[in-house]
Amino acid sequence: MTKFYGYRRPDGSIGIRNHVIVINTVGNLSALTRKVAGLVPGVIPVIHHGGESQFPEDYVQTLRTLVGTAGHSNVSAALVIGMEDDRIAQEIEAALIEKGKPVRTICLNCNLTIQEMVKEGKSWLSAALENSKKETREQCDITELIVGLECGGSDAWSGITANPSIGAFSDMIVHEGGTSVLAETTEAIGAEHILASNAINHEVGREFLTIVRNYDRRIKETGEDIRSANPTPGNMAGGLTTLEEKSLGCIKKGGSTPLREVISYSEMPSEKGFVFMDTPGYDVESVCGLAAGGAQIVLFSTGKGSPTGSPIVPVIKIGTNPKVYEIMSEHIDINAGKIIDENKSIKDIGKEIFDKVIDVSNGEKTAAENQLNQEFAIWRLAESI
Amino acid sequence: MVDDPGSCFTGIIYNSFLSLGRKVKVVMSYTFKGYLRKDGSAGTRNHIGIISSVICSSTVTNDIASKVDGAVSIIHSNGCAQLGDDFNVTKSMLSGVAENPNFYSNLLIGLGCETNQVSGLLATIDKSKPIEGFSIQQMAGGTNTAAKGVAIAGEWSKEITEEKRMELPISKLTVGIITIDIDEQKLKAITPVVSALIDTLLKNDSTVVSSLTRTLEPGGDYLAEKAEDMRAKVELRTLSKGLNRRRWESDKDYALRSFSAEERSLAAEEARLLGSHRLEGLLDINEKPGGKGLYLLKSSENIVESLSNFASVGCNVALIVSADGVLVTSNVIPCISIAPQDDSQSPRDYVDIYIGNDDKEQQIAALLEKLIQVSSGELTALEAYELGEFAIPHIGTTF
Repeated sequence: MTKFYGYRRPDGSIGIRNHVIVINTVGNLSALTRKVAGLVPGVIPVIHHGGESQFPEDYVQTLRTLVGTAGHSNVSAALVIGMEDDRIAQEIEAALIEKGKPVRTICLNCNLTIQEMVKEGKSWLSAALENSKKETREQCDITELIVGLECGGSDAWSGITANPSIGAFSDMIVHEGGTSVLAETTEAIGAEHILASNAINHEVGREFLTIVRNYDRRIKETGEDIRSANPTPGNMAGGLTTLEEKSLGCIKKGGSTPLREVISYSEMPSEKGFVFMDTPGYDVESVCGLAAGGAQIVLFSTGKGSPTGSPIVPVIKIGTNPKVYEIMSEHIDINAGKIIDENKSIKDIGKEIFDKVIDVSNGEKTAAENQLNQEFAIWRLAESI
Repeated sequence: MVDDPGSCFTGIIYNSFLSLGRKVKVVMSYTFKGYLRKDGSAGTRNHIGIISSVICSSTVTNDIASKVDGAVSIIHSNGCAQLGDDFNVTKSMLSGVAENPNFYSNLLIGLGCETNQVSGLLATIDKSKPIEGFSIQQMAGGTNTAAKGVAIAGEWSKEITEEKRMELPISKLTVGIITIDIDEQKLKAITPVVSALIDTLLKNDSTVVSSLTRTLEPGGDYLAEKAEDMRAKVELRTLSKGLNRRRWESDKDYALRSFSAEERSLAAEEARLLGSHRLEGLLDINEKPGGKGLYLLKSSENIVESLSNFASVGCNVALIVSADGVLVTSNVIPCISIAPQDDSQSPRDYVDIYIGNDDKEQQIAALLEKLIQVSSGELTALEAYELGEFAIPHIGTTF
C-alpha cells in the first residue's frame, strides 16, 4: 500500500498541510480579519462576506462550510473573529474543541477597541504559528486521503487528455482504498445517465439523477438557459460546442469504479471510494465545498489555464494541451498534453498525477501555492435579505 | 463669525446653519474640496481602481494594487457561472463602481475564460476617465499580467500626485445613508440631528441616496406618500406588505412573510431619519439617480454589499447609522459612522460621531462639518484602520 507523510490530528484525521488560519463569521468582520492575518506572516486569511442577511438554506450551508474549513485536517489551529453572541463563532469553536484542534474566538464587544482586538488576535496567532512548527509528519496510509476532482477553463482537449487521466488516477487511489470526490453538478448535465448507470446500487444512482434534475429545475425557474453561461466564452474559444460535450468530458474524471455515494455541498463522505459532491460548476465555490467536505487535495484540469487555489488545500493543476502548459506554466503542475505530442498514454499521465499527489501530500508545493492563490467563496443559494 | 482657515466650513456658512428653524433666509454656500472630473462629477478621493472581473483574477488584482501607490483593489466572489439577473447585477455593479467619481482611472483584470468578460465591461463603462483592461490568459500568466498592470497603474499613480483638490459646492456630493443594527429607541436619539442634516443637504442641491433595506421596507406606505413618481409609489406599497426575496428551496414562490408591528414602527422612525423632502425615486440595485434630490436604493442588509451598492450608483461619501458602530467600510467611498451616545460605554475607536443630548444645532453643525471635512480628504475612523471591503450581492444562485 502506498504511504505518505502527514500530520495526524487528535481526532484521527490526517492533514497534509499545517496551516494556522484566521476566519471571519460574518461580512462585517471581513476587513478586520484580513488586517489581523496580515500582521503575522505565514497565517492564512479565510475571508467571506456571508454569514448574515441570509435565508436558512444559505445560513446552514455557510455554517457547514465554515465549520468544515476551520476544522479541516490541513488546519493546525484557527482564530475565529465573530460578533457578540455569535452562533456561527460558537458552532465553529465547539466543533474544533471536539476535534481537539487549537481554537480561539475573539468576539466584538463593548469592552474591546479595534486596537485591542488586533493585538489579541496577533498575539494568539503568533503563538499558534510557533506551536504548529513543533508538529511533525508521520507515515500514513493512502486510505486516509480524500482527493477532490475539478475542472476549470475547459477546452476540447479536457475530455481527451487531462480528465481521463484524472479518471485513471481516481481508479488507482480507489483501488488502494482511498477516496476521490467528483464535483460540479452542472457539468454532469447531459451525461448524468452514464454516471448514474455506474452507481453502486439503484438508490445512489437515483440520488445522483435527483440532484442533477433539481439543478435543471432551478435553472429553468430563473427563466434562463444554462447553455447561455455554460460552455463559457473561454470554453467555446477552446473548441467546446455544447454543455453536453463538456459534460461528457467532465465526468471522465470519475474513472471507472462504481459511484458509492452522493453528498451535499461541504459534506464529508461517509464512504471510501468514488463519491460525487453536489456543487456548482463555478470553480472556486466548488473547490471550497470539496475542501470543507474534507478533501485534503484537489486535482484541477484546465484547458485555458486557471491560476485559482484554496486557502487550506493544495490544488494540483493539470494542463490539457501542450500549448497551455507552455504559456501558463507558472500556474500548472502537470502536462497532460504529453498524450498529444509525446506519445504518453492516459495511464502514464494517471500515474504521473498519482505520484504528484503523493509528493504534494508529503509537502511539495503546488503552482497555486507558490503563487499564493488562496481564493475562497461559498456557494450561495438565495438572494441576500 | 467663525474663521477656521483649515476648514471649508466658513463663518458665513456657520451663521446660516444656526439659523435653521428660525425662518431667517440666508444664502448658503457650503463647499468642500474635491476632485472635479471631466463628466462634472466630483471625487472625495482620488483612487486608482484595480478591478477584477472574476474571482479567479483576484490574487493578481490584489498583487497589482499592493504595488501601486493610490491603488485600491476591487475583488469579489462573482464573475462566472452566473445567469440572468444575477449576472446582470455583477456586471452593472462593476461598471458602476468603475464610473464612481472617487476613481481617477481604472484597470480591469480578468482571467480570460470567464462569463464576465473584460471586453464586455470595457464596452459599457464610460470612457471619460483613463481605463484599460486585459486578462491573465491573454497575457500568458499572472506574472506578465501583474507586470503590465503595475506599469500602467504606476503611470496613473504619478499623474494623481499632480491632481489638486478644488473648492466645490456640496451640490456635487451624492451622500449614501444606511441604517443598520439599531433599535427604535436608539434611532430616535439620532433622528433629529441626521434628518436635519439631510434636509440641509437637499436644500443645497446635494443628492441623498438611502438604502432601502429589510428594516425600512415596512415603512413603504409612509414613503409612498412622499414619492412623486407613480411607479415608486406602487412599488413601495408592495414592498411594505412583507419581506420578499428570491430563493430556490421553496419551489417557484418567492419568500414572503408579513412584517410585525415592531418592524413597522422601527421603519417609520427610519423613514423620519430621511427628513422632510419629497422622494424623487426608487432605484434598483446599481441604478444611478436620475437627478438631484432624495432617492431610495434597494439594498440587502449585508453592510459590505450595501456600501458597494452606494459606490456603484455614484455616491462619493456615505453615512452609516448604527447602535454601536460597524467594523467595515467601503474601499471606494469614505463612510462616516454615526452612533447614539451611550454614557454606560466608553467611546469606540471606530465611530466618527456620537449623537447625544447636547445642543441639537451644535450637533447638526458638527455632523455637517465632519461630512465636509471627510469629503475634503479627512480620513474616517474606518479608513484610518484600513478596513475597506467590496462585495457584490447575489440575487440568484451560481451554476
